[in-house]
Amino acid sequence: MNFIEDSGELQVLLVEDSPGDVRLTREAFREANRAIKLHVASDGVEAMAFLRREGVYADAPRPDFILLDLNLPRMDGREVLEQIKGDESLKTIPTVILTTSDAEADIVKSYELRANCYLSKPVRLEAFETLVRSINDFWLTKVKLPQKRMGK
Amino acid sequence: MHQQPALRGSSVRDQGLRNEGEFLFREPSDLQSPRSTYARSIPVTTMTGDLMGRKVSEKDAENSLAQMEGRYRGLLEAAPDAMVVVNQKGEIVLLNVQAEKQFGYHRDELLGQPVKNIIPEGFAERLIADDLRSAAEALAQQIGTGIELSGRRKNGSEFPIEIMLSPLQSPEGILVTAAIRNITVRKDAEKHLAQMEGRYRGLLEAAPDAMVVVNAGGEIVLLNVQAEEQFGYRRDELVGQQVKNIIPEGFAERLIADGTRTAAEALAQQIGTGIELSGRRKDGTEFPIEIMLSPLESADGILVTAAIRNITVRKDAEKHLAQMESRYRGLLEAAPDAMVVVNQAGEIVLLNVQAEKQFGYRRDELVGQRVKNIIPEGFAERLIADDLRSAADALAQQIGTGIELSGLRKNGSEFPIEIMLSPLESADGILVTAAIRDVSVRKRAEEHLVQMESRYRGLLEAAPDAMVVVDQKGEIVLLNVQAEKQFGYHRDELLGQPVKNIIPEGFAERLIADDLRSAAEALSQQIGTGIELSGRRKDGGNFPIEIMLSPLESLGGILVTAAIRNISVRRDAETHLAQMEERYRGLLEAAPDAMVVVNQQGRIVLLNVQAEKQFGYHRDELLGQEVKSIIPEGFAERLIADGLRSPAEALAQQIGTGLELHGHRKDGSEFPIELMLSPLEGSEGVLVTAAIRDITQRKRAEAQLLQKVEELNRSNEELQQFAYVASHDLQEPLRMVASYTQLLARRYKGKLDSDADEFIAFAVDGANRMQRLIQDLLAFSRVGTKGKELLATSSELALKQALRNLRAAIEDSGADVTHDPLPMVLADEMQLIQLLQNLVGNAVKYQSGGVPRVHVTAVMADGRWNFSVRDNGLGIDSKYFDRIFGMFQRLHGREEFEGTGIGLAICKKIVERHGGTIRVESEPGQGSRFHFDLEGIERTS
Repeated sequence: MNFIEDSGELQVLLVEDSPGDVRLTREAFREANRAIKLHVASDGVEAMAFLRREGVYADAPRPDFILLDLNLPRMDGREVLEQIKGDESLKTIPTVILTTSDAEADIVKSYELRANCYLSKPVRLEAFETLVRSINDFWLTKVKLPQKRMGK
Repeated sequence: MHQQPALRGSSVRDQGLRNEGEFLFREPSDLQSPRSTYARSIPVTTMTGDLMGRKVSEKDAENSLAQMEGRYRGLLEAAPDAMVVVNQKGEIVLLNVQAEKQFGYHRDELLGQPVKNIIPEGFAERLIADDLRSAAEALAQQIGTGIELSGRRKNGSEFPIEIMLSPLQSPEGILVTAAIRNITVRKDAEKHLAQMEGRYRGLLEAAPDAMVVVNAGGEIVLLNVQAEEQFGYRRDELVGQQVKNIIPEGFAERLIADGTRTAAEALAQQIGTGIELSGRRKDGTEFPIEIMLSPLESADGILVTAAIRNITVRKDAEKHLAQMESRYRGLLEAAPDAMVVVNQAGEIVLLNVQAEKQFGYRRDELVGQRVKNIIPEGFAERLIADDLRSAADALAQQIGTGIELSGLRKNGSEFPIEIMLSPLESADGILVTAAIRDVSVRKRAEEHLVQMESRYRGLLEAAPDAMVVVDQKGEIVLLNVQAEKQFGYHRDELLGQPVKNIIPEGFAERLIADDLRSAAEALSQQIGTGIELSGRRKDGGNFPIEIMLSPLESLGGILVTAAIRNISVRRDAETHLAQMEERYRGLLEAAPDAMVVVNQQGRIVLLNVQAEKQFGYHRDELLGQEVKSIIPEGFAERLIADGLRSPAEALAQQIGTGLELHGHRKDGSEFPIELMLSPLEGSEGVLVTAAIRDITQRKRAEAQLLQKVEELNRSNEELQQFAYVASHDLQEPLRMVASYTQLLARRYKGKLDSDADEFIAFAVDGANRMQRLIQDLLAFSRVGTKGKELLATSSELALKQALRNLRAAIEDSGADVTHDPLPMVLADEMQLIQLLQNLVGNAVKYQSGGVPRVHVTAVMADGRWNFSVRDNGLGIDSKYFDRIFGMFQRLHGREEFEGTGIGLAICKKIVERHGGTIRVESEPGQGSRFHFDLEGIERTS
């Protein structure tokens, strides 16, 4: 029942199964913007539970931004995306695909499922860090994010 | 000769006119007895009677007498006859000039002379001595009449005269005026007439008809023996009788009672014609007669000679004729042809309804018209004008035959006709019956036939074969030039000759003697086929022939047209063929493949031992069988059913090629075969030789090959996939390693010991390298897997993009990259960019310091663009020319130049994918020139 949760802090949900990638991302974001609170779900099921605040995630904050990997165990990113964008209460959350795949089919599919944008993970560390910085600069700084609704 | 005086003389002499027994003659009557009566006053008749009847004074009487005398003298002079006045003494007291002439005296020589001098006898006596008659009678009488008196001329010659006396009172007493006429001519005429009379009588007697001469009183004065016979009378029974007795009616009436015509006209007419007159015999029976009258002059007046013809027979004939006529008319009407009867004047007297139809006239419009109107020419001329033949001949002939006659219809149109004439006797004379036949159709048919005949002759001459036309007697009636050549004869030598002379056997027998078939069937058959016939040349040589007969109708009956073909050549060919067949059989047996010869019915006529083996049959089992039984499908269909190509073409084709054909063995097993067909001419027609090859092995090999190829493709694909997947999946863990070692290096540099730094540095380095290698490998494999369709691409724009990609490197090195105008090429744009980027990048990178200069050109050669990338870099030793295009091949250490050595390998793969080749020209220290070619695109301007 917080009117504004952690004012000034943006809640970002990262859906990523590779711990290595998770840490890299976390490190990159920390470099880019300390005011970001990064939540992590390691597969699609967890992600949905988090978003719906089910079970252990009952108190989970509603993310302002979602970074979604496509290749996830249990429920993969495409399905998560579909569910997010199909959910009235969730669809307004900007959801950006961040994945190693640069296959045309994946790109198209993601946009079809209404991903807000598609990003390919660069191989090199520097490039990766630059990308994260760009995401922050653009999506989390310049872009106007929708205000959270009052209450749940 | 209308006057009575003319008959005077003739009737006297004409003895034949008198009734027998009575002799009629006239005597010169005396005027009176001159002496006895002279003194008396004679009542002078006529001339002076009136005058003297009055009482007048003597003076007056004398005066008037003198006057009379004067007048009298005038008349005398003017009289045409010789006038002589004689006194009672017989002396001539007066005469006129005519008398002078007649007698040849001068007036003075006669005056006062006795009249005896000129008329020796008869005058005086007559005059004086006759007392029996009164003066009146004597005067009134024509004294001279009937008496032969003669006048004597001065020269002594005498001439017959006729004198007419009349009294003349005068102071001297009664004088006699004598009119003296020279009747020499008349006498001659009388003589002639007597002659004629004599002849006439003769003719009369001799006439075949009954002849009767009738006088003006209607009495028979003369008749002949025929008349006696016809009428059954004796001559004397009829002479003097009324002609009425024998011809009750018609004669007299006609003759006499007809006052409207003159006697001459009446006489001139054939009064009897057409009028039914009857003659009556003595026994009372009547018979029909025809009389023909003609006038006959006689002293007794005009007599009528009647020729009387008994027309009983003719009457019967006429009845019969009338009957015939009516029958004839019936026939005429019923005749199918147009019938027209024409008289001698050329007029149509009769026609039938057919004639009306043919000519389009009504009967009455034609009857009486000239036949010329409907048959303008030919009819009349032929009929009438031909004097050389008798009418009967002319008529009896079928004049129309052969002559073009035309009939003229009422509407003016003409049509060809044929006329047949025949005489017809009728009461009006000979008539001509013409049967007129419209021969338009026949004419057309004849014309058509003539046309056909000439066409036929044309065809005959033009025919390639010898053509001979034979009549029913077996004689040659027509032949063409080919026949002349074939048989070595001249046309004339063969015409009319029996066809046997040139075709000794076979022709005639076949044609004539075959009673079982009709002529038509016999003729229509190809008699020659299969039978050995020989033709014989003029020189005696024989040659084999084939004949084909066909009937030909002609005006002369059925003819046979024979087309004669010299089959020597063919015979030779047949022999040759038989030879060839033998050889062929030999070849067939020896062939390595199974050979099967098939006829047009699809039956096997020949096969070799290979075929036996292949199909597992014995020869006999296959001969005569349908090829279907060993080659179920494909053979027959291809061969027979293909109507679009000629058999030759169809056969010549390797039909089996590409088609799955199967051979069917005796044991039922099938095996794949290949057929090669070729035509073979045989005496029975075209045969098909099939070479049958068992292609089981080949099929197997093909299958294997296919399999191998498939495998290869599959493995290739797998490889491709593998390369891609491998590279791609390797990236992940590598990314971790590389990223974290870098993080480590970053965060803990200096915070751990120096060994740690070094170790971390190596790890980072290794990870980095690996990443690059894998990226390059991925890029390399993507050239194939991610290659796009080659499209029209601007190489200039591609270069520009590549340069943009190389901007950093170019700026850092200060390189000067230039290019010529670059063309449109057929390429994958991304790859083209990559290609150019790699080459230019290399050119810029491999420098020894100084300003890199790179120049890109493209020239067209053989339809491809030859690109060149020239640089002024380090150059390459020629021994490395091939190696540098290998994968991960480097000529320099990592410390010198970075890079994995995949660049040129990628270039090569890209160029090869575009169908080109890449090579290098270079010398160490002289820079390098890389060349590659791409397909051009027609620039649409």
